[in-house]
Amino acid sequence: MNDDEMLRQAIAHSRALTRRRFLRNAGLGAGLMAAGPAFLAACGDDSKDSGAGGDAGGGESETTTAKGSGSADNNDLYHANWTAYLDEESAGLWEKSSGKKLFYSEEFNDNNEYFAKISPELGQGNPIKPDIITPTFWMAGRLINLGWLEKLPVDRVPNAKNLVTSLVKPSWDPTGEYTLPWQSGMAGIAYNAKVTGREIKSIDDLLDPEFKGQIGMLTEMRDTLGLLALAQGIALDKPTFDGFAPVFDVLDKAVSDGQVRRFHGNDYMDDLSAGNFAMCFGWSGDVVQLSKDNPDVKFVIPESGGTLWSDTMVVPKGATQLDNAASWMDFCYDPVNAARIAAFVQFISPVQGVQDELRKMGGDAAVAADSPLLFPDETTSALLQSWGNLSEDEEAKFDARFAEITGN
Amino acid sequence: MATDVDGRRPGRFVPWALLSPGTLWLVLFFLVPLLTLIRQALSSKPSRFVPAQFSWEWSNFGTALSDYGPQFTRSFVYAGIATLLALAIGYPIAYFIATKGGRWKDLLIGLVVVPFFTSFLIRTIAWKAILQDDGPAVGLWRVFLGADARILSTPMAVVGGLTYNFLPFMILPIYVSLEKIDFGLADAAGDLYATPLATFRKVILPLSLPGVFAGSLLVFIPAAGDFINATLLGSPKTTMIGSVVQNQFLVQSNFPVASALSLVLMGIITALVLVYSKLFGTDGLAA
Repeated sequence: MNDDEMLRQAIAHSRALTRRRFLRNAGLGAGLMAAGPAFLAACGDDSKDSGAGGDAGGGESETTTAKGSGSADNNDLYHANWTAYLDEESAGLWEKSSGKKLFYSEEFNDNNEYFAKISPELGQGNPIKPDIITPTFWMAGRLINLGWLEKLPVDRVPNAKNLVTSLVKPSWDPTGEYTLPWQSGMAGIAYNAKVTGREIKSIDDLLDPEFKGQIGMLTEMRDTLGLLALAQGIALDKPTFDGFAPVFDVLDKAVSDGQVRRFHGNDYMDDLSAGNFAMCFGWSGDVVQLSKDNPDVKFVIPESGGTLWSDTMVVPKGATQLDNAASWMDFCYDPVNAARIAAFVQFISPVQGVQDELRKMGGDAAVAADSPLLFPDETTSALLQSWGNLSEDEEAKFDARFAEITGN
Repeated sequence: MATDVDGRRPGRFVPWALLSPGTLWLVLFFLVPLLTLIRQALSSKPSRFVPAQFSWEWSNFGTALSDYGPQFTRSFVYAGIATLLALAIGYPIAYFIATKGGRWKDLLIGLVVVPFFTSFLIRTIAWKAILQDDGPAVGLWRVFLGADARILSTPMAVVGGLTYNFLPFMILPIYVSLEKIDFGLADAAGDLYATPLATFRKVILPLSLPGVFAGSLLVFIPAAGDFINATLLGSPKTTMIGSVVQNQFLVQSNFPVASALSLVLMGIITALVLVYSKLFGTDGLAA
């Protein structure tokens, strides 16, 4: 392996570790959490990535990491996605096959933050620059309700037939006209077996006073509340603020007792390997990556269940490149391309046939093909639940109460 | 020199013309944002997803004051302690550099500034690594305070982070003040049988107060509004007002309350600075 190749792999590896979610912390705006790992990763790259993570995720930003040959102002398609959520080759391959210029920007750092950024424009009926954005399902649901999305040209995405059935006409988009899935993943408990000294199985373990001050929870409200709710037998499909009162009580008590050390975005991995956290809520793909370096770190879906989320591709109102958007989506749903993406991102691919393609790729990819975290088996699937839609008023109440408990 | 028909010199407008870039700057980057903020703070938002409407909604200020008292108190207490600590650490350093630095002065001042070449955020994250629970710093701490003691996620870590991050803002103005002092005065005091302590107390310290004044403001004001240290080094129980503003703006889309919170923060800081400058004299700003 020559030096360039080693460098490329090192960068790819550090990116994979930082994952797309490393900025997910709503408690920190503007690329702040990312600056550490992303800055280091960016140091090693010579061109496009300088300053990655130092930006607030600006659509016009020159500093966000970009793939493809287009620029923010000169492109045939502009896709705004999360950090480290696409491999290095796919953008170029699509450009070659379609003859179009893609501007693929990793500017999507946090759902709420991105919403705050686009809402002044979309709220007044003005278009924004990206043709495709990649909100998490609940944010996609909000955008649909607000009427801020274009209908997708689904008929021009023939490979959409490859999608797994559970993601066709999902609860957040019952007609299936506005969203198509990008990747999915699950939230559960990540723990450091060296610190806990025992296997962790349930939320009761998490709330055990033995681990007082050594517990982390996600700032991503739906994951934290969802995991606690499932432990109380409260389903997530039709959430109401009143129905969640007991869940908030448990959370409130855990915080005021000092059980919870801190609420975190994607920055939990260092705390976990350093032993600051005995355990915390975390995302499957992240922990899979971390456990490769630190075998003590494990991911478990609590006995009571874990949350399942999806990130979706949507086209904001007023975007004009619908044909190119369809062509790119179609490309990503080809099992060969989807497998390449899955091997890089390590989350759940929405495309059927990816498992076989990964096996054909061999090496690490073949290992991924057998992971229940990438390909949940029936037992795993039975444990997973997704959040139903929250009405605008209900969501405001949830957010306010959650902020209050988390100290904001 | 030519005069116009009124007998006035055309040069009369020159000072205004010279002031205009500064005035324009102030109007564009201070007055306009401030007025926007005030307008926003007096607006109401029936739903989170519609733009706020101006409606003399004074209750936003009520909410800001009644719901976030602990966070405000924490912000000012933490910032106050950090300022005192920065003074206690910074003054001796500045004094040492100014009096004993000799030909190394520039280098030493350079060393004070060097950490600024790294981002604020990375420096704060570095503290997380230094203070991690099974790290050496905490190991020593545990010898005294028991096996469960920790530093991270406590008020101590937050105040420590604030002190560390803003320390150079204290050292530099004090250094400048001390540097300007004619140390012949200290010799004179000594000739008049003043003890070194009395010389410091009656001569050096009063002469360096302008630097202390400027340094305290430069540390206290940004520290009170900071949210990085509280977020990275603190816990849900150490949240400062900066995090609340951030959450209200970006998560809850509640621009009116967020704006009201910002204005209240601004108002309290202004009041504190006014009181402080009354006590220490505004000539301190001349430092």
